[in-house]
Amino acid sequence: MLELLQHEVQYLALSIMGIAYISKIFWILHFKPMKERTPAKGSHSKAIIASYFCIALPWTMESTIKKWYKWLEFSVFHIGIAIAIIASFLIPEAKHLMTPNVILIFQIIIAISFFVLLIRLTRRIFSPVNRLISHPDDYFSLFLMIIWFFVAFFAMNMDEGSIFFSSYFILTALLIVYVPFSKMSHYILWPFSRYYFGKHFGHRGTYPKIRQ
Amino acid sequence: MHKVINKSEKAKNAEESFKKKMNRQAILSFGVCVHCGMCTESCHYYLATKDPKMAPAYKADRVRKLYKKYFDWTGRLLPKWVGGDEFNTDDDLTELMDIVYGSCTMCRRCSFNCPMGVDKALLMRTGRAILTEQGIAPQGIIDVSEDQWKIGNQMGISTDDFLETIEWLNDELKTELDDPSAEIPIDKPNCNIIYAVNPREIKYAPMSLLAIAKIFHVANESWTMASKGWDNTNFGLFSGDNKLGAYMGNLVYDSVERLNGNMLVTSECGHGYRATAWESPNWAARDLNFRIYNVLEIITDYVKSGRIKLDKSLNQFKVTYHDPCNLGRSGGITEEPRYLINRSVSDYREMYPNRADNFCCTGGGGAMSMGEYSKRRLETAIVKADQLRATGADIVATACHNCVDGLTDLIKFYKLKMKVSLVGELVADALVYQKMYKVPEIKPEEITQYKVLVIDDEPDVIMYLTALLEDNGYKTISAATNEEALTQLDKEHPDLITLDLIMPGKSGLTFYHTLRTNAQYKGIPVVIVSGVNPENPGQYDSRSFIYQHSLPRPEGYIEKPVNKELLLMTIEKILELKNK
Repeated sequence: MLELLQHEVQYLALSIMGIAYISKIFWILHFKPMKERTPAKGSHSKAIIASYFCIALPWTMESTIKKWYKWLEFSVFHIGIAIAIIASFLIPEAKHLMTPNVILIFQIIIAISFFVLLIRLTRRIFSPVNRLISHPDDYFSLFLMIIWFFVAFFAMNMDEGSIFFSSYFILTALLIVYVPFSKMSHYILWPFSRYYFGKHFGHRGTYPKIRQ
Repeated sequence: MHKVINKSEKAKNAEESFKKKMNRQAILSFGVCVHCGMCTESCHYYLATKDPKMAPAYKADRVRKLYKKYFDWTGRLLPKWVGGDEFNTDDDLTELMDIVYGSCTMCRRCSFNCPMGVDKALLMRTGRAILTEQGIAPQGIIDVSEDQWKIGNQMGISTDDFLETIEWLNDELKTELDDPSAEIPIDKPNCNIIYAVNPREIKYAPMSLLAIAKIFHVANESWTMASKGWDNTNFGLFSGDNKLGAYMGNLVYDSVERLNGNMLVTSECGHGYRATAWESPNWAARDLNFRIYNVLEIITDYVKSGRIKLDKSLNQFKVTYHDPCNLGRSGGITEEPRYLINRSVSDYREMYPNRADNFCCTGGGGAMSMGEYSKRRLETAIVKADQLRATGADIVATACHNCVDGLTDLIKFYKLKMKVSLVGELVADALVYQKMYKVPEIKPEEITQYKVLVIDDEPDVIMYLTALLEDNGYKTISAATNEEALTQLDKEHPDLITLDLIMPGKSGLTFYHTLRTNAQYKGIPVVIVSGVNPENPGQYDSRSFIYQHSLPRPEGYIEKPVNKELLLMTIEKILELKNK
């Protein structure tokens, strides 16, 4: 059973996600883009690069300067997601790499990510603005991730008999399948949206922003 | 069981229109939002009110719900799960109008603060577009758009009126420069520059056109204006009507091609520059064989190349600069105005935040034409007012006529001790040039003595205006009430009326209605001289009133406190044109 969860179920889930992602890309591309008919005032390439890097350079946006803690939360839990996904491959395929030190690092990051998401869920429930702009999908996605991090933390102990170990693989598969149909599909939209943002404003010479 | 809802025709059409408007950038901006709320505090509507419904993500969701319902994969099956919904009634559309027109100036400040790259202004404009197609928009937007469609400019100025104003401005220019060769050329072929302006410059603010004409003349520029296709403003940008956007763009582009101009230069108008230089070629699907510049780019080149010289000691003021959204975020003009102001005034001080991070003047997105939202606009302007106050400047310079109006309104509302000026006017005042020719002085007895009726309920204002006018060669009579004014009209037959709007009893607008609908009086030019009540601007919103009653516009509009040079210049212009 565990073998099935670690391999076939994961690959099936990944295949569904892969098909959904490829379909989504084709779906995006079947919409015609707006084209600029004027000569550019700024540099498209510089602006597109700056647009992608805005999430790594929090000082380039007023929102991330003022809400630096939100940026920190974002960074931490996205690293946590990457770690938890990587672990779902390492455990079945390269168990020897899961040394005690690696496990400790993974658990620390996953634990922090878990608490960060709890903070974000609390904010979504109690902040009037966040509550107003939230839909069931926003809550469910967060909830799913919180549970996933919770079981992932204990699954890192590598106790194959533990309920957390099998739950981790079940939840990973569930998450992978749900992602393309939820707000988490921003993974696939984000590279496109930042590309067009950079291109549009770079064309007019307003991006990257001139510093004050 | 599903509830069966009879959708209204407009709601159905609005949804169909929405589906047709989806392009790649739109579906990305609609789809990528994760509701993180990072954009919330970038919006002046939210900052001023702290109302969660003013958060950009919430406002965008009012339009986004259609995307979620009809395009989102999950939303098609489970719309409520992802925030999908539809429009069912006309009331739903009216509610949307309040959001996309009344709660957003499409300034794009939130777009620049979104880590996901959501261009919320694009979403708001999509919302406006689907409403406009159903005939749902603030009355001012509808009327101005109609003027652009029918007459080719947003103030309904006829070609004759345009040419007469230019002729009058020519006289002013010659006098100002003491040079009989100075002129504003019209329809001159093969010039380097075809200059397009905001109709406000023809109707109410001729000093800005005069300032630029002065600079062009001193720089020995080869330039002209076109008698057709001279309006660079474009209400298609505000209403989401790409067809109007294309039509207005084409009018101007045609004039450049007809006159064989080398380049098109737009005046200091933020949305006009953005629409003409960046958006209209796309809307019109037209590849242009000439370049388009903002006039400040051209003047900057003059200064850099030594074609004009500026003396900053001529402007001894503390000046700050307000970046218009359509130049700072959507147009790429941020450094040129600073370069020019730094060389034109003795004390320049930066405003914070600035450039692409600047706050909207609150009059953007067509807000100045929407009297129904003036109260909200001015309440949210506190963010801008604080920003202005912190500079300690005497003058806030800007490069947009819309911003001039928006800033003037909020300065009055928040009682700031500041004036607004266009950058070009500051540059013109700092211009160093040699007088070429001395215009002979006209003796006072040669001046026709015109009679002006000053109508105002405040004795101090009457005293000030009559003294000012008499000192400048006019005969004056005055009236403190509408009834008194009617008596004076019959008895004295004035050549011009200055009219206050806020009067006890019947308002100045009611009196204006009487004037314009009475055959005996309707030919008398009217200059409105009024401080629109900032506590309740809707009540004295002359523009809405005029549109609602289909009245001709007043010949002039001067705000209190009165700029005496502008008042005298306006009256002089109107009477000279009338005399001709």
